[in-house]
Amino acid sequence: MNGPSAPIALTAHLILLSSISFGGFPTVLPDVHNFVVATHGWVTDQEFANYFAIAQAIPGPNMILMMSFVGWKVWGLPGAVASAFATFGPPCAMYFAAYRVWDRFRDAPWQRIVRLGLVPVTMGLVIASGTVMARAADPGWRAAAVTIAAAAITLATRFNPLWLLLAGGALGGLGLL
Amino acid sequence: MPRLTTSGAAVERKRSETVLLRALFIEFLKVSLCGVGGGAGLVWARRIAVDQRRWITEQDFADIVSVCQFLPGPNIVGIAVCVGTKLRGAVGAIAAVAGFLLIPWTIGFALGLLLLEHSHHPVLQNILGGVSAVAAGLLIATGIRMLLPHRGRPAALLFAALAFGLMGFGRLPLLIVLFSLLPLSIAVAGFQNGRAR
Repeated sequence: MNGPSAPIALTAHLILLSSISFGGFPTVLPDVHNFVVATHGWVTDQEFANYFAIAQAIPGPNMILMMSFVGWKVWGLPGAVASAFATFGPPCAMYFAAYRVWDRFRDAPWQRIVRLGLVPVTMGLVIASGTVMARAADPGWRAAAVTIAAAAITLATRFNPLWLLLAGGALGGLGLL
Repeated sequence: MPRLTTSGAAVERKRSETVLLRALFIEFLKVSLCGVGGGAGLVWARRIAVDQRRWITEQDFADIVSVCQFLPGPNIVGIAVCVGTKLRGAVGAIAAVAGFLLIPWTIGFALGLLLLEHSHHPVLQNILGGVSAVAAGLLIATGIRMLLPHRGRPAALLFAALAFGLMGFGRLPLLIVLFSLLPLSIAVAGFQNGRAR
């Protein structure tokens, strides 16, 4: 269905995105969504939302899993493995290199300044990812209410997120959403 | 005789290092399997590496989290890389990351494909819709929580709102959002930091 260039394009794009995914891979989810759903049509909106939900519900490296599902859709098992490596490989190399030089610059004032500038932007992106995923999953007001409630409960309590995910699944399974 | 002692000590050390690699693999396997949803992995990584195994100090862990926040990628994998590097260098990093990814990825991928096979089923579709709605809420909450320490700085809130709006509603490519906002945001932080002195 897809030309041989599709898995290469996907892997290259994921390598690029994982290399700039400051604040974690969720920050680049909207861009992945644009690339695989809107630009190339490899994956439907519904499938993308399913990948997200399943990856979140399964323990383990959820964003790597989600990208593996996208890779699987495009190019079967090799695509899944390539997508997984593209998602964690480049950042791992950077973490390793960065941690080795970290001590040398531990008290440098620029570190504080960069952190002060970096964190607000990346957190704005994380919140944007949440809203993009909420809209891709289900535009209905009940689902939106569940999203808002889950965010509020997480912020207000120390609840294990697992229970919230289970509750969401139960509400959905009973046809209440 | 001293020779024997030395070699005995070497063997002893070698054995403890071997155990440590295996321990890194197993402990990060635990972190991976316990960390469902966003953010929970961080809690487990700290509990295991600092409290239970006493591999690193609280300060080390805070440093590692900061390094990881600076860099792109899945931060929790970054914590595995850094703890592994701290304890055993490159080999340790590979052991920790392998523990974190290998088995959980294989199980998760197989389980996920099984679920996706049946994802057209209406009940499963509804369940996934509910899980997805909650998971989106968890992401939003994580973003807000990490933003809270910056709530006293209007510039920080402005840049967070800009990033949110441009990405969430403007649907602009991430690279454009990142490289237009980051230099400005860091410059403003630097300017305010300079004035504060």
